[in-house]
Amino acid sequence: MTGPVRILLWCAGLALAACLVTYPLYANGYYLALGISVLYFTILATAWAMFSGPTRYISLATVAFFGLGAYTAAVLGETMPWPVVLLAAAGVGALTAAITGLSTLRLSGIYFVIFSFGLAELIRQLVIWYEVNIHKSVGRYLFSAVTQDVLYWQLLGLTAVVFLVGWMLGRSRYGLALRAIGADETAASHSGIDATRIKLGVFILSATFMAVTGAVMAPRWTYIDPAIAFNPTISFQVVIMALLGGAGSLFGPVLGVIPLVLLFEVLTATLPNHFSIVLGVIFVFIVMVLPNGVIGLFGAGRWRVPAGGPAAAPARAGDAPLLAVDGVSKSFSGLRAVDGVSFTVTPGEIIGIIGPNGSGKTTLLNTLSGALRPSSGTIRLGGIVLNGMRAHQIARLGLARTFQLVRVMPDLTVAENVAAARLFSTTNGSGATASELLDLVGLGKLQEAPASELTYIDQKRLELARALALQPRLVLLDEWLAGLNPSELETGIALIAKLRDRGLTIIMVEHVMDAIRALCSHCIVMNAGSVIARGAPEAVLSDPKVVAAYLGGDDA
Amino acid sequence: MFSANRRTLLRVAGLAALAGTLWTFPSTADAQEKIRIGYAISKTGPYAGGAGITTLPNYELWVKDVNAAGGIKLGDKKLPIEVVEYDDRSSSEEAVKAIERLANQDKVDFILSPWGTGLNLAVGPTLNRLGYPHLAVTSVTDKAPELAKRWSNATFWLGTSAQISEGLADLLGKLKSEGKIGANIAMVSIADQFGIELSAAGREAFKKHGFKLGYDKTYPMGTQDLQPLLKDAIASNPDAFIAFSYPPDTIALTEQAQLLKFNPKVFYVGVGTAFPLYKGKFAANSDGVMGIGGWNAESPQLKEYLARHKAATGKEPDRWASSITYASLQVLQQAIEKVGKLDRTAVAAEIRAGTFETIIGKVKLKDGLLQEVWNVGQWQNGEFYALAPTSLPGARAAVVPKPQWQ
Amino acid sequence: MLLVDIILPGLVLGGMYALIALGLTLQYGVARIMNLSYGESLVAAAFGAFSLYGGLGLSPLAALLLAVPVAMVLNWLLYRLLLERLMRRGKDRGAQEIDSILVTFGVLFVIQGAMLVAFGGQYYSYSYLSIPLTIMGSTLAVNRLVALLFAALVGGAVYLALTRTRIGTAVRAIAVDANAARLVGIDVAALSGLAFAFGGGLVAVGGVLISMFLTFNAAMGVVFTMKALVVVIMGGVGNVIGALVAGLLLGVVETAVARLVDPGLTLAATYALFLGVLVIKPTGLFGRAAS
Repeated sequence: MTGPVRILLWCAGLALAACLVTYPLYANGYYLALGISVLYFTILATAWAMFSGPTRYISLATVAFFGLGAYTAAVLGETMPWPVVLLAAAGVGALTAAITGLSTLRLSGIYFVIFSFGLAELIRQLVIWYEVNIHKSVGRYLFSAVTQDVLYWQLLGLTAVVFLVGWMLGRSRYGLALRAIGADETAASHSGIDATRIKLGVFILSATFMAVTGAVMAPRWTYIDPAIAFNPTISFQVVIMALLGGAGSLFGPVLGVIPLVLLFEVLTATLPNHFSIVLGVIFVFIVMVLPNGVIGLFGAGRWRVPAGGPAAAPARAGDAPLLAVDGVSKSFSGLRAVDGVSFTVTPGEIIGIIGPNGSGKTTLLNTLSGALRPSSGTIRLGGIVLNGMRAHQIARLGLARTFQLVRVMPDLTVAENVAAARLFSTTNGSGATASELLDLVGLGKLQEAPASELTYIDQKRLELARALALQPRLVLLDEWLAGLNPSELETGIALIAKLRDRGLTIIMVEHVMDAIRALCSHCIVMNAGSVIARGAPEAVLSDPKVVAAYLGGDDA
Repeated sequence: MFSANRRTLLRVAGLAALAGTLWTFPSTADAQEKIRIGYAISKTGPYAGGAGITTLPNYELWVKDVNAAGGIKLGDKKLPIEVVEYDDRSSSEEAVKAIERLANQDKVDFILSPWGTGLNLAVGPTLNRLGYPHLAVTSVTDKAPELAKRWSNATFWLGTSAQISEGLADLLGKLKSEGKIGANIAMVSIADQFGIELSAAGREAFKKHGFKLGYDKTYPMGTQDLQPLLKDAIASNPDAFIAFSYPPDTIALTEQAQLLKFNPKVFYVGVGTAFPLYKGKFAANSDGVMGIGGWNAESPQLKEYLARHKAATGKEPDRWASSITYASLQVLQQAIEKVGKLDRTAVAAEIRAGTFETIIGKVKLKDGLLQEVWNVGQWQNGEFYALAPTSLPGARAAVVPKPQWQ
Repeated sequence: MLLVDIILPGLVLGGMYALIALGLTLQYGVARIMNLSYGESLVAAAFGAFSLYGGLGLSPLAALLLAVPVAMVLNWLLYRLLLERLMRRGKDRGAQEIDSILVTFGVLFVIQGAMLVAFGGQYYSYSYLSIPLTIMGSTLAVNRLVALLFAALVGGAVYLALTRTRIGTAVRAIAVDANAARLVGIDVAALSGLAFAFGGGLVAVGGVLISMFLTFNAAMGVVFTMKALVVVIMGGVGNVIGALVAGLLLGVVETAVARLVDPGLTLAATYALFLGVLVIKPTGLFGRAAS
C-alpha cells in the first residue's frame, strides 16, 4: 500500500472514530436509541461469530448469557459500584458457559442448535424458580441515573474491546486452530489441536461478552423479569444478522447488523400492522436469492498464518522398540473388530499391515492414533502408555497419521493446513519448515491454493505434509497409495522411501502389494480381527493361510 | 473478501434502509391544526392478547368519540386528534425506542402508555425525562406509590397488587364472619411478578383474617396442563379456591374444575375472568365465579359506554381495566382543556391535582394514584358486578356458595 | 391411587405433545426441513377449527376432513415453490438444514402476520367434548383423551405406512441418504414433497384437536414449535415411534414433577430431561448416529 493512500485511510478511520465517539452530542434521542440498538447487536453478533463462525456450531444460547448478565445487573446494580457489577456479570456468563459448554463435546449439527435453545429456556425456568421460591419476587427494579449517552459510550467501549479481542484471537494460533476445527475436527485433533479445550475456551469468551452486554443494557429497561431478559427473539435475530453479514470474518457480523437493524426500524415505523408479513417475505427473499445458500456466507476469512513454532528435535535412533502393541482388542457391542493383536516396531523400519477388507486394519490404526479407545491391551510409544490418551495428545507425542478417506481442511489453504499441525508442537530443535515439507511432497507451488481445489493425489500429498509437520517419530499411513495411477504410484513409493531414509518410522496399511514388497521390511497379515501371519513380505505373501484369507478357502 | 453477490445485496439493503430511515422524517404537522397523539402498543408478541382487549380498543374508541365531537378544545378552537401508532412487539427495548421516535421524529404532543407493568416501567424514565404525562393504567405493582413519587408526571390507575389481595381477603373475611364459608383456602399463583405480588400479599391478608392456607403453590407461565395442580388443591378440601392466574390458565383452570366437578363455595380465578371471552366460553357456568376487577354495571354511564364500545370496535370491553382506560383518557382531555394550551408539564400537574367527571364517576387522584378501584368482581346473571371494596358505591353482595357447574 | 393419577393424565398430556410433534417428525426427519413455522401452521389450523365451529357449527372432528387436505395442499405448495430449490442447491445436509431454518423463519413471520391481521392478538377459546371420564379413579377430559387416541392411531398408521409399504420404505431411504436413494431410482424431490405435505396434514390434525381444549392466540406458534422440536429430537430424528415415546415420556415427567415435587419446576424438569437425554444419547432415544 502506498504512503498517501495509507495516510488517507488512517485519516478516514480517525474521522469515523471521532464521529462515532461524539455521536451522542449531535444525535437526537431517537437516533441515539437507534445507535444503541446497532451497537448492542453488533457486540452480540460479533461475539456469537467468534465461536459459531469458525466452528459452525450455530448457537441459539445467546439470550441465555445476555439475560444472565441483565439479571446480574438487576440484582447487584443498586448496591454495588457499576464496574463490580459488570465484572460480576462477566463472571456469571463465563461460569455458565464453562458448565454448559461441555455439551459441545458430544453434540453437533442440528442437535447442538436445539440443545442451545433448550439451554436458554432451562436457564430461564431455573431463574424463575429461584426468584419465586427463594427471592419471593420475580421482577427486579433497577433505577439508575444512567442516561442514553453514557449507555451509548459503554456499548461503544465494549464494541471496541470485542473487536480488539477478536482480532487478537484471529492472529494468534487459536484463530487458525479454530478454523481447522471448523473445517475438519478429526483431522485437527490428529494434528495436535486440543479441539475440546479450544472450543470451550472460545465459547466462554463469547458468552462473557454477551453477559456484559446484557448488564450494560439492563438499566435501560428499569424493570427486568425473566420474560424480558430471556427473550428468544434476540437469539434468532443475532444469528440472522451474523450469518447475513458473514460469520467467517471479524467485521462481517457488523455488516449484517446495520442493514437489518435499520430495516426493522423502517418496517416498524412505516408498516406497523404488517411488519411481520413484510419482514417474513424479505427474509425468505434474501435466503432464496443467495446462490450458495447461507452456509456459503460462512466464507473463508483471511487470517495471517502465524510464524511457525520452534522446530523439532531430531528423531532418536536406537534399538528399543518405538511402538509396542500388546494384546490390543477392540469390540463394538459384540463385534470383535480387532482381536488380541500384538507386534512391535523398531525405529527406522517400515511395517506393512495387510489383509482383506474388513479385517480390522483401519480400526487398529484408529486405536493407535487415539481415535478409538482399545477395549483391552496396551499400546506404548517410546515407553509411554497411549491407552486412554486423546488424539491430540498422541499427536503431540509424535504419532501422526493419514486417513483412508482423505481429510484435508477444505476452506484452509495448503499452507494453513500444514501450519495447523504446527500450532501446538511441543518438540524443540531443528526440523523442516512448512515450505520445505510442501516442497518435499511436491506441493511447493500450491501454497496459497484452497485445499478443496486440489486434485486427489495432491490432497493426499497435503495430508502427508500435514502429518509430517507434527515432526513425528511414527507415521501411520492408511491406504495412502490407493487410487494412484502407475506413475503416481512410483513417485509415492519413492517419497515414502525418502521419508524412511530421513529417519521416520512408518506403519503402512496397504492393498498395493508392489509397494509392500518394495518398502516393508516386515509384514503383519490380519484377517477377521486377528493376526494370521507375520514376517518378511515375500514369505508372508506366499503363505497359504494368507492366500486363503484373500481369495477364500475353496479357491486357494 | 466477500462474494460479489453478498456485497451487492448488503449495499442495496443498506441503501434502502438508510433511505427508509430518512424518509420517515417527521411531517411538520402544523401544531395549531391538529393535536398529535402517539402510542406504541403491543400488537404482536405475548402482550398482544391483553393489549388487544383492554387498551387498543379504548384508545381507538376515545379518539373516535373526541373527533366526533369536534376535537379537544384549546382556547376557543377545537382541534381534532391525529394518531401516530406503532407496535412495540411486546419488547421493552422496542417500547423505549418507540417513545423516542414518537417524541423526536414524529414530535407528538402527547403519548399514551403501553400495556402491562413491564412496558410501562421500561418507558417510565424516558417519558419522565421528556416531560410527557404518563397514564400508566395497565400497570399493577406494589411499587406504584414509590414510582408516582419518583416520576411526578406519572399516574397509576389500577392500584397495587396488595390492594387486590387485601380487597379479596376483606371480602372473604366478611363472608366467613357471616358463616357463609369456612377457614380453609387453596391458593395457586402464576410464577410471574403479578402472581407473586398477589400471592405474597394474599398470604399476609388471609392470615390476618384467620384463614388457613391448605394448599399454596406456584406454576410457571406456559403450563399446558393444570390438572395435577388442581387435583392436589382439591385434596386439601378448601372452602375457597383462589387462583392468581393469567388468561390462558384462568380459562384452563375453570375448564378443569368443571371436569373434576370441583365446586368450592368460592371459586376465584385471576386475570381474564373479567374479559368478555370468559363469559363467551363458559356461558351460564360463569355465574358465581369471582375474579379481579369488576364494575358497577348498573351505572347508566357505563351501560352507555358498553354499547358504544361494542358498536365501534365490535367487541365488549373487559370489566376491569377497560373502563378505567377510557376514563383516564377523558381525564387527559379535560386536563388539556383546563390548561388551555399544549403545555405538557402543566397538563401532567393538572392530571394529578384536578377533579374530573368520567364514565366511572368523579375522579380525583391522590398522590398520583386512583383511589376508587374495584378489586373483586363476580359474574352474576351474565354480568361481572363489582363486589369489593364494599365501601365503594355500587358494590354488590356476593353470591355464595357458587352454584354448581352444569 | 396416586401413581395411576399421575401416569394416566401424564399419558394424556404426553399424547398431546406426541400429536403436536408427529408432523415435524416427517417434515424434519424425512424431508429434512427444519420447519420453524411449524407452530404457526398448528395455530392456523386451530384458528381454522375455531372459525368453522363458531361460524358453521362444524364439529372439530368433522373439520378435520376439511383441514387436513387443505393443509396438505398448502404445505405441498410451500415445498415445491420454496423449499425444493433450497434442497437442490444445498451442498450437504448441514447446508440444507441451515437454509431451511432461515427460510422457514421467514415463513413463520408471514403466517403469524397473516393471522394477526385476520384475528388480532387476543386469546381465543372454545369448548368441545369437555366431558369428564373417570378411568381407574382418575378423571380425564374426553377431548384430551381423543387427542391421545389420535396420536396413537395416527402415529401407528404412519409407522406402519413407513415400514410396511413401498412408498414408506422409499421415504425412509431418502431420510437415511438422499443421494443413495436417487441412485436406486427413487424420485427424491417428489417423495420429499409428499412427506412434507403429509407432515403438514398431521400438523393440521394436531392443531384442530388441541383447539378443543387449549386457549390460543396468534403469537403462540413459537411455543408449539419448540415443544415439537424437543419431542422430535429427544425421540431420535425421523423416528415415529421415538417421537411418540418421547412425547409420552415428557407428559408423564411433567405431571409427576407437578404432583410430587413442585409445580413450579415442571418446565425446568422437561428441559432438563431433554438436555439430559441429548447428553447421554446425543442422537436421541431411538436415533441413529449421524454418518
